[in-house]
Amino acid sequence: MRSVVKVPDNEKIALLEEMLDLDNGTLKVETKLDAINNWDSMAVISLIALFDEYAGETITITQIKELVTIKDILDLWNSAMGSND
Amino acid sequence: LIKSGGGDTLNASIRAISYYLPEQILNNDQLAAIYDNWTAEKIFEKTGIKTRHIASEDEYASDLAEKAALLLFEENDINPEDIDFIMLATQSPDYILPTTACILQNRLGIPKSAGAIDYNLGCSAFIYGLALSKGLISTNICKNVLLIMAETYSKHIHPMDKSTRTIFGDGAAAILVSMNEIDGINEFILGTDGSGAGNLIIPAGGMKLKNSNDTIIDVEDENGSIRSSQNLYMNGPEVFNFTIDVVPKTVNDVLIKNHLSMDDIDLFIFHQANQFMLNYLRKKIKIPEEKFYVNIEQTGNTVSASIPIALRMAEKEGRIKKGDKVLLVGFGVGLSWGATIIRW
Repeated sequence: MRSVVKVPDNEKIALLEEMLDLDNGTLKVETKLDAINNWDSMAVISLIALFDEYAGETITITQIKELVTIKDILDLWNSAMGSND
Repeated sequence: LIKSGGGDTLNASIRAISYYLPEQILNNDQLAAIYDNWTAEKIFEKTGIKTRHIASEDEYASDLAEKAALLLFEENDINPEDIDFIMLATQSPDYILPTTACILQNRLGIPKSAGAIDYNLGCSAFIYGLALSKGLISTNICKNVLLIMAETYSKHIHPMDKSTRTIFGDGAAAILVSMNEIDGINEFILGTDGSGAGNLIIPAGGMKLKNSNDTIIDVEDENGSIRSSQNLYMNGPEVFNFTIDVVPKTVNDVLIKNHLSMDDIDLFIFHQANQFMLNYLRKKIKIPEEKFYVNIEQTGNTVSASIPIALRMAEKEGRIKKGDKVLLVGFGVGLSWGATIIRW
Protein backbone atom coordinates (compact mmCIF):
# COMPACT_ATOMS: atom_id res chain seq x y z
CA MET A 1 0.00 0.00 0.00
CA ARG A 2 3.04 2.33 0.30
CA SER A 3 3.34 4.90 -2.39
CA VAL A 4 5.72 7.79 -2.68
CA VAL A 5 4.81 10.86 -4.71
CA LYS A 6 7.66 13.28 -5.36
CA VAL A 7 6.50 16.84 -4.81
CA PRO A 8 8.65 20.00 -5.12
CA ASP A 9 8.82 22.29 -2.06
CA ASN A 10 6.57 25.02 -3.51
CA GLU A 11 3.86 22.43 -4.18
CA LYS A 12 4.30 21.05 -0.68
CA ILE A 13 3.60 24.52 0.68
CA ALA A 14 0.53 24.80 -1.56
CA LEU A 15 -0.70 21.44 -0.18
CA LEU A 16 -0.16 22.68 3.37
CA GLU A 17 -2.11 25.88 2.57
CA GLU A 18 -4.95 23.83 1.16
CA MET A 19 -4.86 21.56 4.22
CA LEU A 20 -5.10 24.55 6.56
CA ASP A 21 -7.78 26.37 4.50
CA LEU A 22 -5.38 29.25 3.84
CA ASP A 23 -5.09 31.46 0.73
CA ASN A 24 -2.29 30.78 -1.73
CA GLY A 25 0.94 32.52 -0.71
CA THR A 26 0.02 32.83 2.98
CA LEU A 27 2.69 30.41 4.18
CA LYS A 28 6.42 31.10 3.96
CA VAL A 29 9.19 28.69 4.92
CA GLU A 30 9.86 30.80 8.01
CA THR A 31 6.19 30.94 9.13
CA LYS A 32 5.88 29.69 12.72
CA LEU A 33 3.21 27.01 13.23
CA ASP A 34 2.08 28.64 16.48
CA ALA A 35 1.21 31.77 14.53
CA ILE A 36 -1.19 29.91 12.23
CA ASN A 37 -4.77 30.21 13.44
CA ASN A 38 -5.86 26.81 12.09
CA TRP A 39 -2.90 24.90 13.53
CA ASP A 40 -4.85 22.62 15.90
CA SER A 41 -5.29 18.91 16.59
CA MET A 42 -7.34 18.55 13.40
CA ALA A 43 -4.46 20.10 11.43
CA VAL A 44 -2.08 17.61 13.04
CA ILE A 45 -4.32 14.74 11.87
CA SER A 46 -4.43 16.26 8.37
CA LEU A 47 -0.62 16.47 8.36
CA ILE A 48 -0.34 12.78 9.31
CA ALA A 49 -2.68 11.97 6.40
CA LEU A 50 -0.66 14.17 4.02
CA PHE A 51 2.63 12.44 4.95
CA ASP A 52 1.04 9.01 4.70
CA GLU A 53 -0.37 9.83 1.27
CA TYR A 54 2.58 11.62 -0.30
CA ALA A 55 5.61 10.21 1.52
CA GLY A 56 4.23 6.76 2.37
CA GLU A 57 5.54 7.36 5.86
CA THR A 58 3.94 7.39 9.30
CA ILE A 59 5.02 10.36 11.41
CA THR A 60 4.79 10.20 15.16
CA ILE A 61 3.25 12.72 17.50
CA THR A 62 6.72 13.24 19.03
CA GLN A 63 8.05 14.26 15.61
CA ILE A 64 5.12 16.65 15.11
CA LYS A 65 5.64 18.25 18.52
CA GLU A 66 9.21 19.11 17.52
CA LEU A 67 8.05 21.08 14.47
CA VAL A 68 8.38 24.86 14.85
CA THR A 69 8.24 26.35 11.35
CA ILE A 70 6.98 25.38 7.88
CA LYS A 71 10.63 24.68 7.00
CA ASP A 72 10.69 21.96 9.67
CA ILE A 73 7.69 20.30 7.99
CA LEU A 74 9.42 20.46 4.60
CA ASP A 75 12.63 18.99 6.07
CA LEU A 76 10.74 16.14 7.70
CA TRP A 77 8.80 15.53 4.48
CA ASN A 78 12.00 15.42 2.40
CA SER A 79 13.79 13.11 4.82
CA ALA A 80 10.70 10.85 4.90
CA MET A 81 10.93 10.53 1.13
CA GLY A 82 14.68 10.03 1.30
CA SER A 83 15.33 12.87 -1.15
CA ASN A 84 15.75 16.63 -1.27
CA ASP A 85 14.04 17.54 -4.51
CA LEU B 1 -36.84 -18.73 14.14
CA ILE B 2 -35.30 -22.03 15.15
CA LYS B 3 -36.44 -22.48 18.75
CA SER B 4 -34.47 -23.94 21.60
CA GLY B 5 -34.10 -27.68 21.12
CA GLY B 6 -35.00 -27.44 17.40
CA GLY B 7 -33.04 -28.51 14.31
CA ASP B 8 -29.35 -27.82 14.48
CA THR B 9 -27.66 -26.36 11.40
CA LEU B 10 -24.93 -24.67 13.44
CA ASN B 11 -24.79 -21.79 10.94
CA ALA B 12 -25.35 -18.24 12.14
CA SER B 13 -26.62 -15.12 10.42
CA ILE B 14 -27.90 -11.65 11.19
CA ARG B 15 -31.70 -11.85 11.02
CA ALA B 16 -32.69 -8.29 11.88
CA ILE B 17 -31.37 -4.94 13.13
CA SER B 18 -33.21 -2.04 14.77
CA TYR B 19 -31.81 1.04 16.42
CA TYR B 20 -32.84 3.78 18.78
CA LEU B 21 -31.46 7.33 19.00
CA PRO B 22 -32.31 9.54 21.99
CA GLU B 23 -34.65 12.49 21.28
CA GLN B 24 -32.38 15.28 22.49
CA ILE B 25 -30.24 16.77 19.72
CA LEU B 26 -26.95 18.67 19.84
CA ASN B 27 -26.21 20.61 16.65
CA ASN B 28 -23.16 22.46 15.33
CA ASP B 29 -24.62 25.93 16.02
CA GLN B 30 -24.87 25.06 19.71
CA LEU B 31 -21.25 23.86 19.73
CA ALA B 32 -19.90 26.81 17.70
CA ALA B 33 -21.52 29.18 20.21
CA ILE B 34 -19.37 27.84 23.07
CA TYR B 35 -16.08 27.05 21.26
CA ASP B 36 -13.89 30.05 20.34
CA ASN B 37 -12.86 30.32 16.66
CA TRP B 38 -15.16 27.47 15.57
CA THR B 39 -18.10 27.85 13.21
CA ALA B 40 -20.91 25.38 12.53
CA GLU B 41 -19.60 25.04 8.96
CA LYS B 42 -16.06 24.26 10.11
CA ILE B 43 -17.32 21.53 12.46
CA PHE B 44 -19.34 19.98 9.63
CA GLU B 45 -16.48 20.25 7.15
CA LYS B 46 -14.01 18.55 9.50
CA THR B 47 -16.28 15.84 10.93
CA GLY B 48 -19.10 15.33 8.41
CA ILE B 49 -21.49 15.59 11.35
CA LYS B 50 -24.40 18.06 11.68
CA THR B 51 -26.26 16.67 14.68
CA ARG B 52 -25.72 14.16 17.48
CA HIS B 53 -28.41 12.55 19.61
CA ILE B 54 -27.75 12.89 23.34
CA ALA B 55 -29.31 10.82 26.13
CA SER B 56 -31.20 12.96 28.62
CA GLU B 57 -29.91 13.23 32.19
CA ASP B 58 -32.09 10.37 33.44
CA GLU B 59 -31.75 8.16 30.36
CA TYR B 60 -29.09 5.43 30.58
CA ALA B 61 -27.50 2.70 28.45
CA SER B 62 -30.12 0.19 29.69
CA ASP B 63 -32.93 2.51 28.54
CA LEU B 64 -31.46 2.95 25.06
CA ALA B 65 -30.86 -0.82 24.88
CA GLU B 66 -34.42 -1.59 25.95
CA LYS B 67 -35.92 0.78 23.38
CA ALA B 68 -33.77 -0.64 20.57
CA ALA B 69 -34.68 -4.22 21.56
CA LEU B 70 -38.41 -3.44 21.76
CA LEU B 71 -38.20 -1.91 18.28
CA LEU B 72 -36.41 -5.04 17.05
CA PHE B 73 -39.17 -7.27 18.45
CA GLU B 74 -41.96 -5.05 17.09
CA GLU B 75 -40.56 -4.38 13.61
CA ASN B 76 -39.69 -8.03 13.00
CA ASP B 77 -42.47 -9.81 14.87
CA ILE B 78 -40.00 -11.47 17.25
CA ASN B 79 -41.21 -13.08 20.46
CA PRO B 80 -38.87 -12.36 23.41
CA GLU B 81 -39.61 -15.92 24.58
CA ASP B 82 -37.42 -17.17 21.70
CA ILE B 83 -34.28 -15.31 22.82
CA ASP B 84 -31.87 -17.65 24.62
CA PHE B 85 -28.85 -15.35 25.00
CA ILE B 86 -28.40 -11.61 25.61
CA MET B 87 -25.00 -10.12 24.82
CA LEU B 88 -24.55 -6.41 25.42
CA ALA B 89 -21.61 -4.11 24.73
CA THR B 90 -21.33 -0.83 26.60
CA GLN B 91 -18.65 1.36 28.16
CA SER B 92 -21.21 3.48 30.00
CA PRO B 93 -23.14 0.85 31.99
CA ASP B 94 -25.87 1.80 34.49
CA TYR B 95 -23.81 0.20 37.28
CA ILE B 96 -20.34 -1.25 37.78
CA LEU B 97 -22.38 -4.28 38.78
CA PRO B 98 -24.82 -5.91 38.09
CA THR B 99 -24.49 -6.59 34.38
CA THR B 100 -26.76 -4.48 32.15
CA ALA B 101 -27.76 -7.56 30.12
CA CYS B 102 -29.14 -9.19 33.31
CA ILE B 103 -31.31 -6.13 34.00
CA LEU B 104 -32.59 -6.29 30.42
CA GLN B 105 -33.56 -9.98 30.72
CA ASN B 106 -36.17 -8.90 33.24
CA ARG B 107 -37.24 -5.69 31.50
CA LEU B 108 -37.67 -7.37 28.11
CA GLY B 109 -39.48 -10.48 29.34
CA ILE B 110 -36.77 -12.82 28.10
CA PRO B 111 -36.92 -16.32 29.66
CA LYS B 112 -34.86 -17.02 32.79
CA SER B 113 -33.25 -19.89 30.87
CA ALA B 114 -31.37 -17.32 28.73
CA GLY B 115 -27.69 -16.53 29.28
CA ALA B 116 -26.70 -12.86 29.66
CA ILE B 117 -23.36 -11.06 29.58
CA ASP B 118 -21.95 -7.57 29.10
CA TYR B 119 -18.58 -7.02 27.50
CA ASN B 120 -16.43 -3.93 27.55
CA LEU B 121 -15.38 -2.81 24.07
CA GLY B 122 -16.05 0.33 22.06
CA CYS B 123 -15.82 0.85 18.32
CA SER B 124 -14.74 -2.76 17.63
CA ALA B 125 -17.52 -4.26 19.79
CA PHE B 126 -19.98 -5.14 17.03
CA ILE B 127 -17.43 -7.30 15.19
CA TYR B 128 -16.52 -9.08 18.44
CA GLY B 129 -20.24 -9.52 19.21
CA LEU B 130 -20.76 -11.22 15.87
CA ALA B 131 -17.72 -13.45 16.44
CA LEU B 132 -18.90 -14.48 19.93
CA SER B 133 -22.51 -14.99 18.78
CA LYS B 134 -21.32 -17.18 15.93
CA GLY B 135 -19.21 -19.16 18.40
CA LEU B 136 -22.17 -19.73 20.74
CA ILE B 137 -24.47 -20.77 17.90
CA SER B 138 -22.01 -23.01 16.09
CA THR B 139 -21.32 -24.91 19.32
CA ASN B 140 -25.09 -25.30 19.89
CA ILE B 141 -24.98 -23.39 23.17
CA CYS B 142 -27.84 -21.17 21.99
CA LYS B 143 -29.90 -20.41 18.91
CA ASN B 144 -31.11 -16.82 19.10
CA VAL B 145 -28.69 -14.21 20.42
CA LEU B 146 -30.01 -10.73 21.17
CA LEU B 147 -26.88 -8.67 20.56
CA ILE B 148 -27.09 -5.08 21.81
CA MET B 149 -24.73 -2.14 21.36
CA ALA B 150 -25.74 0.63 23.80
CA GLU B 151 -23.59 3.67 24.38
CA THR B 152 -23.95 7.02 26.12
CA TYR B 153 -20.44 8.47 25.75
CA SER B 154 -21.98 11.95 26.25
CA LYS B 155 -22.09 11.18 29.98
CA HIS B 156 -18.28 10.79 29.96
CA ILE B 157 -17.56 13.89 27.87
CA HIS B 158 -16.69 17.30 29.31
CA PRO B 159 -18.92 19.96 27.68
CA MET B 160 -15.81 22.00 26.79
CA ASP B 161 -13.88 19.13 25.15
CA LYS B 162 -14.03 20.00 21.45
CA SER B 163 -12.09 16.90 20.38
CA THR B 164 -14.76 14.47 21.59
CA ARG B 165 -18.00 16.43 21.94
CA THR B 166 -18.04 17.37 18.24
CA ILE B 167 -17.73 13.72 17.22
CA PHE B 168 -19.59 11.35 19.54
CA GLY B 169 -23.35 10.79 19.69
CA ASP B 170 -25.40 8.43 21.85
CA GLY B 171 -27.42 5.53 20.49
CA ALA B 172 -28.22 1.84 20.68
CA ALA B 173 -28.66 -0.95 18.15
CA ALA B 174 -30.30 -4.33 18.73
CA ILE B 175 -29.37 -7.20 16.46
CA LEU B 176 -30.84 -10.69 16.26
CA VAL B 177 -28.18 -13.27 15.41
CA SER B 178 -29.80 -16.65 14.83
CA MET B 179 -29.10 -20.23 13.90
CA ASN B 180 -29.93 -20.43 10.24
CA GLU B 181 -29.68 -22.70 7.20
CA ILE B 182 -27.53 -20.02 5.58
CA ASP B 183 -23.99 -19.34 6.77
CA GLY B 184 -24.34 -15.55 6.91
CA ILE B 185 -21.35 -14.62 9.07
CA ASN B 186 -18.05 -15.66 7.51
CA GLU B 187 -14.41 -15.64 8.67
CA PHE B 188 -12.98 -13.07 11.09
CA ILE B 189 -9.77 -11.12 11.62
CA LEU B 190 -9.39 -9.77 15.17
CA GLY B 191 -6.57 -7.74 16.69
CA THR B 192 -5.42 -5.94 19.82
CA ASP B 193 -2.67 -3.51 20.77
CA GLY B 194 -2.77 -2.70 24.47
CA SER B 195 0.27 -0.42 24.14
CA GLY B 196 -2.20 2.21 22.88
CA ALA B 197 -4.55 1.86 25.88
CA GLY B 198 -3.85 5.44 26.99
CA ASN B 199 -4.93 6.99 23.69
CA LEU B 200 -8.66 6.53 24.37
CA ILE B 201 -9.30 6.37 28.08
CA ILE B 202 -11.28 7.57 31.06
CA PRO B 203 -8.43 7.61 33.60
CA ALA B 204 -10.52 7.82 36.81
CA GLY B 205 -13.55 6.00 38.17
CA GLY B 206 -12.17 2.47 38.21
CA MET B 207 -10.35 0.80 41.08
CA LYS B 208 -6.92 2.08 40.04
CA LEU B 209 -7.80 5.77 40.29
CA LYS B 210 -10.98 6.17 42.30
CA ASN B 211 -13.11 9.30 41.86
CA SER B 212 -12.06 11.93 44.38
CA ASN B 213 -11.80 15.69 44.80
CA ASP B 214 -8.59 15.50 42.75
CA THR B 215 -10.11 13.66 39.80
CA ILE B 216 -12.83 16.28 39.25
CA ILE B 217 -10.33 19.10 38.68
CA ASP B 218 -10.71 20.53 35.15
CA VAL B 219 -7.53 20.97 33.13
CA GLU B 220 -7.19 22.84 29.82
CA ASP B 221 -5.02 21.12 27.18
CA GLU B 222 -2.82 22.72 24.49
CA ASN B 223 -5.74 22.79 22.03
CA GLY B 224 -8.01 24.68 24.43
CA SER B 225 -10.16 21.66 25.30
CA ILE B 226 -11.07 21.19 28.96
CA ARG B 227 -11.55 17.90 30.82
CA SER B 228 -10.95 16.17 34.16
CA SER B 229 -9.62 12.64 34.83
CA GLN B 230 -13.24 11.46 35.07
CA ASN B 231 -13.92 12.49 31.46
CA LEU B 232 -13.23 10.73 28.20
CA TYR B 233 -9.82 11.55 26.74
CA MET B 234 -8.99 10.88 23.11
CA ASN B 235 -5.59 11.47 21.54
CA GLY B 236 -6.99 12.09 18.04
CA PRO B 237 -3.65 12.10 16.15
CA GLU B 238 -2.46 8.83 17.80
CA VAL B 239 -5.81 7.15 17.12
CA PHE B 240 -5.64 8.35 13.51
CA ASN B 241 -2.11 6.94 13.15
CA PHE B 242 -3.27 3.61 14.56
CA THR B 243 -6.25 3.51 12.21
CA ILE B 244 -4.39 4.24 8.97
CA ASP B 245 -1.86 1.58 9.93
CA VAL B 246 -4.23 -1.19 11.00
CA VAL B 247 -7.40 -0.83 8.89
CA PRO B 248 -5.90 -1.29 5.38
CA LYS B 249 -4.02 -4.42 6.56
CA THR B 250 -7.15 -5.78 8.25
CA VAL B 251 -9.24 -5.32 5.09
CA ASN B 252 -6.59 -7.16 3.10
CA ASP B 253 -6.32 -9.97 5.66
CA VAL B 254 -10.07 -10.54 5.97
CA LEU B 255 -10.41 -10.75 2.18
CA ILE B 256 -7.61 -13.35 2.03
CA LYS B 257 -9.10 -15.35 4.90
CA ASN B 258 -12.46 -15.46 3.11
CA HIS B 259 -10.87 -16.25 -0.29
CA LEU B 260 -12.41 -13.12 -1.79
CA SER B 261 -11.13 -10.04 -3.63
CA MET B 262 -12.21 -6.39 -3.38
CA ASP B 263 -14.41 -6.86 -6.46
CA ASP B 264 -16.44 -9.58 -4.74
CA ILE B 265 -17.61 -7.17 -2.03
CA ASP B 266 -20.91 -5.35 -2.63
CA LEU B 267 -20.53 -2.81 0.17
CA PHE B 268 -17.86 -1.82 2.69
CA ILE B 269 -19.11 -0.55 6.06
CA PHE B 270 -16.44 0.68 8.47
CA HIS B 271 -16.98 1.96 11.98
CA GLN B 272 -18.46 5.42 11.37
CA ALA B 273 -15.68 7.36 13.13
CA ASN B 274 -15.75 10.68 11.28
CA GLN B 275 -15.92 11.79 7.66
CA PHE B 276 -12.27 12.80 7.34
CA MET B 277 -10.95 9.46 8.59
CA LEU B 278 -13.41 7.44 6.50
CA ASN B 279 -12.61 9.39 3.32
CA TYR B 280 -8.90 8.97 3.92
CA LEU B 281 -9.21 5.23 4.54
CA ARG B 282 -11.39 4.77 1.45
CA LYS B 283 -8.81 6.52 -0.75
CA LYS B 284 -5.88 4.67 0.83
CA ILE B 285 -7.50 1.24 0.41
CA LYS B 286 -8.78 2.25 -3.06
CA ILE B 287 -12.42 1.36 -2.46
CA PRO B 288 -14.77 2.81 -5.12
CA GLU B 289 -16.99 5.53 -3.64
CA GLU B 290 -20.22 3.74 -4.62
CA LYS B 291 -19.16 0.68 -2.62
CA PHE B 292 -18.31 2.61 0.55
CA TYR B 293 -21.00 3.56 3.03
CA VAL B 294 -20.79 6.77 5.08
CA ASN B 295 -23.76 8.11 7.03
CA ILE B 296 -22.90 10.06 10.16
CA GLU B 297 -24.42 13.46 9.41
CA GLN B 298 -27.41 13.02 11.75
CA THR B 299 -25.97 10.61 14.35
CA GLY B 300 -22.29 11.37 14.88
CA ASN B 301 -19.96 8.55 15.93
CA THR B 302 -22.14 6.22 18.03
CA VAL B 303 -19.20 3.98 19.04
CA SER B 304 -20.25 0.29 19.12
CA ALA B 305 -23.66 1.03 17.57
CA SER B 306 -22.26 2.77 14.49
CA ILE B 307 -21.82 -0.29 12.22
CA PRO B 308 -25.24 -1.90 12.89
CA ILE B 309 -26.95 1.52 12.53
CA ALA B 310 -25.13 2.02 9.22
CA LEU B 311 -26.14 -1.51 8.09
CA ARG B 312 -29.80 -0.77 8.81
CA MET B 313 -29.62 2.64 7.10
CA ALA B 314 -27.92 1.08 4.06
CA GLU B 315 -30.65 -1.56 3.89
CA LYS B 316 -33.41 1.08 4.12
CA GLU B 317 -31.72 3.09 1.34
CA GLY B 318 -31.52 0.02 -0.88
CA ARG B 319 -27.71 0.02 -0.81
CA ILE B 320 -27.70 -3.64 0.31
CA LYS B 321 -30.02 -6.42 -0.74
CA LYS B 322 -30.45 -10.07 0.13
CA GLY B 323 -27.39 -12.14 -0.72
CA ASP B 324 -24.96 -9.19 -0.85
CA LYS B 325 -21.49 -9.58 0.63
CA VAL B 326 -20.73 -6.78 3.08
CA LEU B 327 -17.27 -6.25 4.57
CA LEU B 328 -17.37 -4.80 8.10
CA VAL B 329 -14.44 -3.28 10.04
CA GLY B 330 -14.48 -1.96 13.62
CA PHE B 331 -11.52 -0.20 15.27
CA GLY B 332 -10.91 1.92 18.34
CA VAL B 333 -10.54 1.94 22.12
CA GLY B 334 -8.27 -0.81 23.50
CA LEU B 335 -6.74 -0.42 21.04
CA SER B 336 -8.85 -3.11 19.45
CA TRP B 337 -9.98 -3.99 15.95
CA GLY B 338 -11.86 -6.64 14.01
CA ALA B 339 -13.30 -7.38 10.59
CA THR B 340 -15.61 -9.91 9.01
CA ILE B 341 -17.62 -10.45 5.85
CA ILE B 342 -21.35 -11.06 6.15
CA ARG B 343 -23.86 -12.31 3.62
CA TRP B 344 -26.99 -10.19 3.91
